[in-house]
Amino acid sequence: MSYAYLFKYIIIGDTGVGKSCLLLQFTDKRFQPVHDLTIGVEFGARMITIDGKQIKLQIWDTAGQESFRSITRSYYRGAAGALLVYDITRRDTFNHLTTWLEDARQHSNSNMVIMLIGNKSDLEARRDVKKEEGEAFAREHGLIFMETSAKTAANVEEAFINTAKEIYQKIQDGVFDINNEANGIKIGPQHSPSNPSMPSSGGGGSQGGGCC
Amino acid sequence: MEYFRKYLGGPQEGGQPTGAETVERLVDRVQSSTLLDDRRDAVRALKAMSKKFRLEVGTQGMDILAKTLEADRGDAEITGYALDALCNILSNEPLDDDDEEIQENVPDDLGNQFTEIFIKKTDNVPALLSLLEEYDFHIRWPTVRLLTILLTNKGKDLQDIILVSPMGVSKLMDLLSDSREIIRNDALLLLIQLTKNNANLQKIVAFENAFERLFDVITEEGDSDGGIVVEDCLLLLLNLLKNNASNQNFFRESSFIQRLSPFFNLKSDQQASQPGWSAQKVTNIHKMLQLVRTLVSPNSPQQQMSACQRSMFQCGLVQQLCTILMASGVPADVLTEVNTGHSHVVLDINGLLLVIIIPAIVVLLMSMVNEKQPFTLRCAVLYCFQSFLYRNEIGQSQIVQTLLPTSSDANTISAGQLLCGGLFSADCLSNWFAAVALLHAIMENSTQKEQLLRVQLATSLGSPPVSLLQQCCNILSQGGKIQTRVGLLMLMCGWMSSCPIVVAHFLTNTANIPFLITQVSASESDENETLVQGLCSFLLGICVLDNDDQNETFNRASLRQIIEKRIGLESFSDKLTQIPKNESYTKAAKKPNFTYKHPSEVVFDFEFTRIFKSLEVDILNTVSPNANAAEHKQKIANLQEHEKVVNQYKELIQEQDTQLKSVSQELELLRSQNGVSTGQLSDLREQVQQLKDQNALLKAQKGSQGAFLDTKKEDDLRNIQEELERLKLYVSEKETAIEKLKGDLTVSEAKVLAYQTDGEEDKENNPSEVAVLQATVNRIKCDLQEAQHMLKERDAEVSRLTTKHNEAQRQIDNLNNIKNENSSQAGGGDTVLLQEEIQKISSEKLALQERLTKANEENLNLIDKVNKAQEETKHVAKDKSEVEEELDNLKKEQEDLLVLLADQDTKIDTYRTRLKDLGEQVEEDDDDDDLGDDDTDDEDDN
Repeated sequence: MSYAYLFKYIIIGDTGVGKSCLLLQFTDKRFQPVHDLTIGVEFGARMITIDGKQIKLQIWDTAGQESFRSITRSYYRGAAGALLVYDITRRDTFNHLTTWLEDARQHSNSNMVIMLIGNKSDLEARRDVKKEEGEAFAREHGLIFMETSAKTAANVEEAFINTAKEIYQKIQDGVFDINNEANGIKIGPQHSPSNPSMPSSGGGGSQGGGCC
Repeated sequence: MEYFRKYLGGPQEGGQPTGAETVERLVDRVQSSTLLDDRRDAVRALKAMSKKFRLEVGTQGMDILAKTLEADRGDAEITGYALDALCNILSNEPLDDDDEEIQENVPDDLGNQFTEIFIKKTDNVPALLSLLEEYDFHIRWPTVRLLTILLTNKGKDLQDIILVSPMGVSKLMDLLSDSREIIRNDALLLLIQLTKNNANLQKIVAFENAFERLFDVITEEGDSDGGIVVEDCLLLLLNLLKNNASNQNFFRESSFIQRLSPFFNLKSDQQASQPGWSAQKVTNIHKMLQLVRTLVSPNSPQQQMSACQRSMFQCGLVQQLCTILMASGVPADVLTEVNTGHSHVVLDINGLLLVIIIPAIVVLLMSMVNEKQPFTLRCAVLYCFQSFLYRNEIGQSQIVQTLLPTSSDANTISAGQLLCGGLFSADCLSNWFAAVALLHAIMENSTQKEQLLRVQLATSLGSPPVSLLQQCCNILSQGGKIQTRVGLLMLMCGWMSSCPIVVAHFLTNTANIPFLITQVSASESDENETLVQGLCSFLLGICVLDNDDQNETFNRASLRQIIEKRIGLESFSDKLTQIPKNESYTKAAKKPNFTYKHPSEVVFDFEFTRIFKSLEVDILNTVSPNANAAEHKQKIANLQEHEKVVNQYKELIQEQDTQLKSVSQELELLRSQNGVSTGQLSDLREQVQQLKDQNALLKAQKGSQGAFLDTKKEDDLRNIQEELERLKLYVSEKETAIEKLKGDLTVSEAKVLAYQTDGEEDKENNPSEVAVLQATVNRIKCDLQEAQHMLKERDAEVSRLTTKHNEAQRQIDNLNNIKNENSSQAGGGDTVLLQEEIQKISSEKLALQERLTKANEENLNLIDKVNKAQEETKHVAKDKSEVEEELDNLKKEQEDLLVLLADQDTKIDTYRTRLKDLGEQVEEDDDDDDLGDDDTDDEDDN
């Protein structure tokens, strides 16, 4: 259970784009064709390895419905990464990306890594949004982009791990203040302060350092 | 100032202006004054009046106070006053500062009404939330308090408002990190109110690292030894986790379960110095245990629960709980909680826990059968015990083991002793608890039911030991309190149900059935008595249902008769059906865990109600199979007669069956023997066939070898002879040639000698080589003779082999004959004669085998010899080839010699020519064509 870092993610995007399925595929490696509407938020967790370091991902899967929007906003601030998901077979979910992005930028900390995900890539026949469009949008707004399929698990793992890699890189570059837990990053309980970007005084002791 | 004082002092001096008027003026002042100081004073005055004139200040001033919060936010003092005033207005609870007389005519829910008005203005709550950003104590603290009051009064509405206000929860959560304890503590209270029954807020609060922060606070405050703040933290944790699977998952995934365990680290030295726990510590432990229970509550999803259980077990939490159980000086109600919490943990992983639990069980049971222990604790112990035994056959057998005579150890108190003691103690509750505990130890486990029969009790000195079952009956017949009797009856019903052996045991005491009959047929109408009657009829029913008909006086039929005659079917079923109608039965049947509040409520056990439900209908059916009694009786008689006849037949059949069995066994034996012998026969046949084959092969070999050898040898011989002939011819030819050459040579030699002495060397070579050749030829001749000799020998051997082969043939024929005899004998196989035949066959077989081995040996010899002959022929052939080779060599040498001769001839010629040249008269006998070579020869010689 020990980990070097803990990252908090949120998954956002319109209702029905497959956010919960992405999470389920990532945490449980299974696909549920019929999924209940998410109420509020649901929690999931998994351990990954980057650069030989164990990293714990805690993921909050939010409800896409408009009525839950105000609730889900509460989760932006404490997240280090966000997966912004749209459905490649429904153009409206792509069109709403701007709103989502504005929302996210407004409520999150500025360093939050956002990964744009075009989900349902298995439904090529019903594609409504070209991959190039997604790439262009991501380029324009400085996001990482990927097309995934929660059903076939294509790129799902990569989407979560690449986001973590980006966050990890930012930590290495000293962009993130890892001692402020409000950034959605936590140092593991027994992780020694060998990291150059980490001040030696901010010991990640077992107390967990409730600093603010 | 002056003006203001006048108003303020007004009521006290003359009492002319009423409170309402003063408030009105003050409100007006706050509204209209341009100077901050004036406004501040007015607000302070309003605050001062807000307790005494709550209604007035509320109705007239609330709005303006709220406005002040925004308008004069810059001034901490006035904001603080306004907040205080609002707190006073909105709070329903009488404030503790002073004992001023509080208005009598204020309605109880005034605070709620004001709150409703206050939150109707949508700006108000967000304004309060933004005030939290102010660090000033005079603002922050009353804001927290005010929000708490609002939440207390109108929780649902406030929750919705805070939920949608951006960063609302974050701001509230930040309060937990406030260095001023009072703010942190009040923030805790606020959060407790906030998270009540709202899963979304619970999740957001958890997301904001609530667990981490709360555990930090708890640790800071000294875990279980901490004060009320720890309790508040635990309350908040409970709020966050109760019925919230997502948060429970988060809690577990973030390894917070491991952080629970320091809480139960009870320092033993501390305990020794102060035997009791402080009230706060009891509460804290209590809450913590509730937390544990929440995590493993049967209400949460199964997967979730077992995952929690696993991590609890892994981090040693369960072990700690056990330690608390065993520790002395732990208050009883905590133990209750431990037990119940415990049993939830136990439910699933009891296999793992077995090792830890067993010693704990004894301690648990001790308190269960101790009437001085509080009732709730005893209930909890029983529940824990039941949970432990639930579908746990190993546990059941271990408990029953402690009851058996073999394992009794006088020095230690075993669970069994405790249970027996409880079962027959004077305390009716102990009886009940012990009976139910025992019932669970044998529940759905017929092995243990039978084992329990072995239990013998020494009732008093001198009297023989009595079985546990009989002792139960004895106690039962003595009457006693309802719990004692119901408990024992439940135990007996559970014991005897679906276990005919126990029923038979019960029936052996002839007093038991009459006792039951008298109980059932009693006509007392007391509620408790009807219960006992019902249970007795149930027991009676079980006696019929699970009767194995071995007992003659009390078999099914007779019992039915007795019931019918002595009780009456109507009355019997009536009594039986009384039980489910009883209130305590329905209560017990609802839930597996106990909800008893008072000892008198203890009547039925959940598991027993399940047994009852499953058997009730069966019993009613068995006892009254047919309405018509006479017919029934006749039927029974008929049946009995039938049964007798059937039994006779059965015996007959059995006898025949055994006979048949033995005969068939014999048959089987014979068959197998037959099979063996036929197998042997076929083996023999096979062997014979093999021998035949071998023989044929040998014959063929021999034939081929005989013929082949003969012909081949002859051929070979002929060939060799021919060859020899040829060689001889050759040799003779060569000899003649050599002779001729020799002649030539001698002639030429003579000539050469006559003319020249130079060629001596050359001339000497030739005769020596020829001599060598001669020798070789001679040797070849010798060899040939030898070969011929050997061939003769081989011929002799071949003839010997043929005779041996003939002999073998004869033996094989014999074998064939014998074999034919065997097969004919076996063909007419009679089972009676079979034995003899088999013996004969086997002896014959042995003889045959012997002969076979002999034949085999002989055959082997033959083969050997043949091989040898073959080898020898090969050898001869080889010799022959050698000879041929030598011949070739000879030829070659001859050729060489010829060449040499030619050389010499040429030389001779040259000499001749030279001689001619020298002017000598040379005999011109040879050819002239040699003349061409003269030049070269000249050169050579020079």
